[in-house]
Amino acid sequence: MAGARYANLHDVELAAHAAAGDRSAFGELVRRHGGGVRALLRRMGAAAEADDLAQDAFLTAFERIAEFRGEGTFAGWVKRIAARQYLRRLQRRRRLKALVAGVEEGDPPAPGDADGRIDLDESMKALGSGERLCVSLCFGAGFSHAEAAEALNLPLGTVKSHVKRGLEKLRARLAPSEDSAAEGNDAHG
Amino acid sequence: MAELDFERRLERLFAEAPAMADEDAFARRVQGRLDRGWTARRLVIGAAGGVGGVVAASQLFLSGLAGRMETASEGSAKALTAGLREVAPHADWLPALTSGGAMVWTASALAVIALGFAVARALSEI
Repeated sequence: MAGARYANLHDVELAAHAAAGDRSAFGELVRRHGGGVRALLRRMGAAAEADDLAQDAFLTAFERIAEFRGEGTFAGWVKRIAARQYLRRLQRRRRLKALVAGVEEGDPPAPGDADGRIDLDESMKALGSGERLCVSLCFGAGFSHAEAAEALNLPLGTVKSHVKRGLEKLRARLAPSEDSAAEGNDAHG
Repeated sequence: MAELDFERRLERLFAEAPAMADEDAFARRVQGRLDRGWTARRLVIGAAGGVGGVVAASQLFLSGLAGRMETASEGSAKALTAGLREVAPHADWLPALTSGGAMVWTASALAVIALGFAVARALSEI
């Protein structure tokens, strides 16, 4: 497993090691960003298959590691790969159309924690499947509205509507106290 | 403005990597799959290189190259022996060193290895 010698290296340096064939360096990147990629896939609605999809995304990332030049974050780059792979899997199963058309209310959010805070994961469950996909792509995977529209094979206006409705629902559910929780939580790399 | 603030807050929330209890186990699973894939790839490349080398060598020999090479080798062996005799007239190990047939087959074996290596190298670069 990736040893302590990688702990102080920046993601870009680790990616350079990985590009030279160092699989342990890539293992450190997986350890750092596995949680974020899995969380994104779950927020998109992948649930049970999120871990498998995340593994596939990292394997693809390793194969294409030479394409990562550090212009954006490594986490963002892998998340885009993971999101696209999830959408392709939905498309193969002919489920994408039904999902993006879904504007129904999701599950009611669970009660907040002791501070009355409701976390993002719980709030996302309140979104319809189409809204969840669009919001996750645009705010979690860094897609522009146009890119999301292309990936989902939807008109741009529909994506914008999904995002707008999704944001309204999230804003209503996310307590303002999350502002302070979010501060100082910079993603690694 | 409030909308923009909220969108930024949402991006931060999405960017937060939640702590997961099985982070190391997940990384080990990915690395295990990488290692298995790498081993399988090397085996496939090695096998393809070996097969490619044998096929290439057999094509060369089936084309009658062996006979021509043996003749040429015998001629060059004689010339080499004669040349070496002039340099070292009392060396009685020269005929064994330059016997044509052995040289042909040694060269053939080396050619198979070289072709196999070349095919394997080409495949690994793809």
